[in-house]
Order: sequence, then structure tokens, then C-alpha cells
Amino acid sequence: MAESKNFAAPRTGAEVLLAKDLRKFYGPREALKGLSFSLKAGRILGFLGPNGAGKTTAIRILTTILQPDAGQFFVDNISSEYPNEIRRRIGVLPESLGFHKQMTGLECLVFFARLYGCSATAAKSNGLSLLKDVGLEQRAKSLVGSYSRGMRQRLGIARALVNDPAVVFLDEPTLGLDPRGQRELLELVQRISAERNVGIVLCSHDLPEVESVCDDVVILSLGQVVASGTVDDVIGHGQSRKSGAMQKSSVRIKVPAELVAQAEKALEAMSSVAQVIFTNEMGGWLRVELESALDGRQNQIKNKMLEALIRADIPVLGFEAEGSRLQDVFLQLTNN
Amino acid sequence: MSDKENLSYMQVSSPAVVTRKRSSRATPAWWVIFTRELQQLWLGGKAPLLLFAFFVLQSMLTYFLASNTSDPTPPKEMVYFTLQNAIAFGLLIGLLTGADAISGERERLTLESLLLTPASRRQIVIGKFLAGISPWPVALAISIPFLAVVAQGDEVLGPAVLWGTLVGSMLAMSFVCLGMLASLFSNSNKTSLSISLTLYIIMFIPTQLQGGAQKGTMGYLLKRVNPMESVNHFLENVLVNNRAAERMAPWLASPIILAIIVYVLLFLYTIPELGLDVEEMGIFRWGGRRHEDLL
Repeated sequence: MAESKNFAAPRTGAEVLLAKDLRKFYGPREALKGLSFSLKAGRILGFLGPNGAGKTTAIRILTTILQPDAGQFFVDNISSEYPNEIRRRIGVLPESLGFHKQMTGLECLVFFARLYGCSATAAKSNGLSLLKDVGLEQRAKSLVGSYSRGMRQRLGIARALVNDPAVVFLDEPTLGLDPRGQRELLELVQRISAERNVGIVLCSHDLPEVESVCDDVVILSLGQVVASGTVDDVIGHGQSRKSGAMQKSSVRIKVPAELVAQAEKALEAMSSVAQVIFTNEMGGWLRVELESALDGRQNQIKNKMLEALIRADIPVLGFEAEGSRLQDVFLQLTNN
Repeated sequence: MSDKENLSYMQVSSPAVVTRKRSSRATPAWWVIFTRELQQLWLGGKAPLLLFAFFVLQSMLTYFLASNTSDPTPPKEMVYFTLQNAIAFGLLIGLLTGADAISGERERLTLESLLLTPASRRQIVIGKFLAGISPWPVALAISIPFLAVVAQGDEVLGPAVLWGTLVGSMLAMSFVCLGMLASLFSNSNKTSLSISLTLYIIMFIPTQLQGGAQKGTMGYLLKRVNPMESVNHFLENVLVNNRAAERMAPWLASPIILAIIVYVLLFLYTIPELGLDVEEMGIFRWGGRRHEDLL
């Protein structure tokens, strides 16, 4: 929007969101137990947690809908003591996304831009440009009621950007979208983060999605942060925790369902394999536990397992080290 | 920079330092909301539909009053009946419009987006209130030709329009506020409309009873307490019985008190608590049942 040009965009890498020891009580129950994290401009942060972990409370506090009982946060250097100013620097795509269905996509964006102090002309040109950014320029004058779910999510993202925010909160943006819609939306989120240099907080229960688009991650459990950092760091931390606790590593191998028994036999014949378990997942996944005290030789053993399967004429459809995915770490850390 | 350093650096930042420069000619948020609401109310068809129903009702009433030649009603009484009907229907329209204001946004899941903008809660409510009272002047304007027809040249027309405008507007604004209060405390339009209509019926039914139905001290008290009845009593005496308005002024006490109560409740007490849902509003923080949903 025209007015926003007067405001300096955050520097790349500058901290645009800093939460410091946020606490919230509902009666005697402490829903947030000292939430602290930070987000830099141009990065996407996955905000994760099981149901009841305090995610919604945290997001509502950070978007000024709720007030914290203790702690402080800053958006683009503005303290939470100034909620009105914070609202000028954030954009939000709420999970429960609603629109006035009798308005067109463009009218909707113009309305919100004007609430941010934009003139009617500037709001219109800004709205058209945003609709183009999210791929809705052809439907600018169609009623929102005629939009598909995916189009409404895109419009919601455009609406979250009308004030040229420093931080954008996206709550379950891909919920209810088909796989293609999910992929397109996530690509859009990555593009926005990079092109506009905004910090994005992405709340999602879809962990592969978070792993694929996020740079950083915060995992909440029972109101407190149980892991935070870059996605790789958090996964690495989970792996080291696991190996420290169990002294045993495992891999998951996918073979054709009809060859599961044959594969089990081939792998059990190996001396370094402690146990082979059929996981009952779709498509023939096997969980192979390796013997302990294989320090430094895990990769060698993994290669030998693959070799054994190929020799037995069993196609390997999937192979992954267990604990190497965000989902594994999440389950491990939030297993209360 | 460590978190600690960052915090101390950020604490010195205030909006005075970093506030975005906004257009000096920026339209106030309440006006933006008011125009959007007006558009939805009038172009969306709700207000025209209600006013069309009002027009039909007024036409029928006027026809029956004016065509009754066997037992003709005096023009003054016909004017009073027509005005009474106009006010009663105008109040209903105001109440229905107000009842949709907040709960409608909650139901359509659009309130959160509105609360996330820099528009203050007061600006949101003011914009909606102004749009909510917009059908009343139109209803009044529609009534004037009917009043003129039934007045049949009687001088009562002028005072009827004057007092109708004054007391009708006061009541109409109060009823919009009343509807909005019901809406603020409801998560759905169904609840809000039920509350509003119940309140309306409680006030409206006594106005339809014969004069002798409310006798004794209790009847008198109920008449004084009910704003719709008080206003009718005031108008009847001023327009039909030629009583001085100053003498009948005490009958305007209950609509004035109602106006004060609803304005204070809506604009001073309730607005700051406007939340995403009723249970989140401060005055409803008696338990944690709904808070489970927030976690």
C-alpha cells in the first residue's frame, strides 16, 4: 500500500518477533508456562504442538486478541504494551477464516486496507496487486461466496498482507485443501517470505509440510517450549536424545507387501540386526532395530541391509533412518 | 545479539519512534465500517425488504382507517394510530438490525479479522450502530405521506411529525443499542434474535391491550416503566387529547432512562470487553469451560 512505503521494511535477518517468558492462566490452570522464542525477517517458523499444548492461546496473545498475564513480546521492535501498533505490523490468517460472501475479493481487500488508514485509490491498487500475487487477479470482481476453499485461503493470505506486515501468522493454512492446493499454497507462503522479507509463523499439524517449508521450529507441549531452533537442529537434537536414551538405532524400510516375509528373513539373517518388526502400515513398512554398540558403523550396516535385500531380489521402495523426521521428534518430545 | 540484549534494545522502542506514517487524510475506521455496513444492509436487501413490509402494513392500515365511513375515526386518532404503528415497526427494524451486528460477525467467522485490524472496538461498534439506525429515518419518511392522508388537512400533522421524529428517534436508537447488546452477548444470530424479539414482545404486547386492561397501581406502574407504552401514552395525550407536551413530559422518563442505560452499557461498559466469543468477554469470566478450546 502506498502509505507503507514510508515505513522501513525489516532488514534481512533482523528479529521481527521476540516473545519473552509469556504466561497465561485460565483460572488456576497455567496454559502458557513462559513461552520464549524469536523469529527473524524472511524466515518461516513452524509453531507446533499437540492439541491442548497452548498454541491457540499463544497465537491469540501474539496477535493481541488476548493479553498475557506475564511476559512481553515485540513485533518489529514494538512492545506488546502497544497492541494497536502491533496490529499495524502483523497479518493474520486465522484458522476459522470467514468472509462477507456478498463482497468481491477486491472489495474485501479494499475494506481491510482502508481500516489500516489507506486511501480508497491506494487500497484498490494495492488490492489488485495482492490479488495478482496470490493468483486471483482473474477473480478480483467475483463474489467471495463463489470462491473455492483454496481460493479463500489465498484471499485470506492476501488480506493478511494488506498492511505490509513484518510478521504474518498462518494458522492451519492448508487445512481442507487437496494435495495440489496444499502444495501451491505452501509455495506461495515460501515466495511471500522470500520476496517480502516477512517473518512467517506457520501453525500446522501437518509435520511433513512444516519440515518442507519451515526454516525454524518451536514445539510446545503442555504450555512450554520443549524444542526450538532450526528444523535440522531440532531433528538432530531428537536423534541424539534418542540414541543417548536407547543406545540403539533403527531404520524403516518399505518393500512390496507380498515380499514382507521374505524381506524379514533376509534381514534377520544379518548379525548386526537385533529385530525386524512389521509395522502394519500401508504398503509393507518394516522397522529394523540394529544391535547396540555399532558406533560409527551404522551407515555401513545400512548399506549392507540394502545389499542383502537387492541380492534377495526384493525391491526397496522406501528407506529412512528412524528419528530423522520432524514427526518422530515431535512424537518423542510430546509423548506426555 | 543475545536475547537479553535484544530485549533491552527493544524495550526502548515505542510507537513514537517506529510508527508507520499513515495518510494524514486517512478515513476514520468507524466511517469505513459504517459505509461497509450500510452497503450490506441496503444493497444486501435486508433493509429494503423490511421497509417494503412496513410500507405494505402502513398502506393497509391507512386504507382501513380512511375507508371506514360507517364509524369514522377522527383524524387526530387516525394520525396517532398511524404514528404508533410507524414507531413500533421502526423499532422492530432497529432491533433486528442491531441483533445481527456482532453475533452475525461471530457466526460468519469475520469478527476475528475485524478485531485484528487497528480499528478499536469502540470504532467497530459505532460504525455498526450508525448503520443500524439508518432504516429509521427512511421508515419515518415513508410514514409521512400516510400521516398526511389520514390527517385529512388537520393541523395535527405538524406536531405528529415533530413528536414522532423526536421520541421515535430516541426510542429507535435505544432499540438498536438493545439489539446490539443482545448481539454482543450471543455467539449466534439465532440466540441474539430470540433475545431481542422476546424483549420486543414483552414491551409491545401491553401497547395492544385495551385501555382498561391495565388498571390500578400495578397497571399504572407497568405503563410508566414500559418505554413503548409511555411514548404511546405521551403521543396520545399530546396529539389526540390536546394536552401540553410539558405536562406530559414525565411520561418520557422511561424512554430516556432506557436510552441512558443502553448507551452506558453498550458504549462504556461492554465495548472494551468485546471478544471473539461470549465466554471470552471479561464479564463472563466465571469459569474455564470454554478456555479448554483455546489451548
